[in-house]
Amino acid sequence: MRSLALMLALIATPAMAQDRPAVAVVSYPLAYFAERLGGGAVDVLFPVPDGIDPAFWRPGISDIAAMQSADLIALNGAGFARWTTKASLPRSRLVDTSAGFSDAFIATEKVTHSHGAGGEHSHTGAATNTWLDFDQAAAQAAALASAMTRRIPETAEGMEGRLAGLTADLAGLDTAAEAAGAALAGRTIIVTHPRYQYFARAYGLDIQSLDWAAGDMPSAAQWADLEARLKDDARVVLIWEAEPPEEATARARELGVSSVVFPPLANRPGGGGDFLGAMKNALQDLADAST
Amino acid sequence: MIRALALALVAAASPAAAHQLKVFAFVEEGSVIVEAKFSSGRAPKFGKVRVFDASGDQIETLELGEDGKLTFPLDPAHAESGLTIEVESGDGHDDYWILTPEDIARGEEAG
Repeated sequence: MRSLALMLALIATPAMAQDRPAVAVVSYPLAYFAERLGGGAVDVLFPVPDGIDPAFWRPGISDIAAMQSADLIALNGAGFARWTTKASLPRSRLVDTSAGFSDAFIATEKVTHSHGAGGEHSHTGAATNTWLDFDQAAAQAAALASAMTRRIPETAEGMEGRLAGLTADLAGLDTAAEAAGAALAGRTIIVTHPRYQYFARAYGLDIQSLDWAAGDMPSAAQWADLEARLKDDARVVLIWEAEPPEEATARARELGVSSVVFPPLANRPGGGGDFLGAMKNALQDLADAST
Repeated sequence: MIRALALALVAAASPAAAHQLKVFAFVEEGSVIVEAKFSSGRAPKFGKVRVFDASGDQIETLELGEDGKLTFPLDPAHAESGLTIEVESGDGHDDYWILTPEDIARGEEAG
């Protein structure tokens, strides 16, 4: 009798799993928010492999097919995840989580190439890592909660409480970021890649951006560019978007630069943990760099 | 109407882009129709079209017409697995469009 019940349970589990509502997302922060807001009642679909930047990921046909069948597709907005304009996604199931503050996007400009009679020209857009201003992250979480409640009624019960918990955690990050910003006031901050525009604006930092590849040893020309920026400033903080090679941090130390690893977390944290824990650690490291 | 709306949406997706190439593809009456244009609205003068199956294997190389469009017959085998269409305009611009089996089935039904 017990074995029959066990067999029935085993048969039932996959079908039940398939019946769970699904929320597809384009970034790790949205995946983390959806998991917390879903309260265990939804499957969160974030198919970008570890180590790949979701902003530039190119999905396969099966990835798009899975997204198309999700109950809700949560976009970051601000032009993040270019692939979302490369396939038909059902408009009625899309939510642009940053639409509520699109007037606060930071414009970017980047010269890309030259050709034809038009000569050199630039392609412009918006800075995409909106969640690094934790007030904006909270607005994105609220937009996602609202869309989940509307599209997936199973999530409505308890949503208010789950959103309040998530909002409180994001407010805690906001407070920690404000403290780090205050501690670093007046310091020269250089980042290895232009991903921290919203962070800089929200927390009062004047940031210079390099364009170094994540995790790679910078070239001789890149080191020379950094040295030229240092001038006689002995209190420079260099923010790496990913753990650099040991020889890179050693070289930065020789130049008198304090190194901090602050992953923007567009994808899952490389060393495990979750969004909240990884952000807390990064903000603490940033505050420590001021001493 | 749907096609015009989709193209407009694709073109509007990157409002600040100077003249990025935009590709859209759909299925109608047993054919795959590819349309490419710059965000300025101009059609590329030249375009190499590569067609990939669900495994990522390239199955065809074709050329866009002067109007930035191309039509080729849909192989029924690919209707069940989907296609990825890549267009390279030859002046440093490229773009792609993914057709899932659901997209293809919808196109066939509408046709």
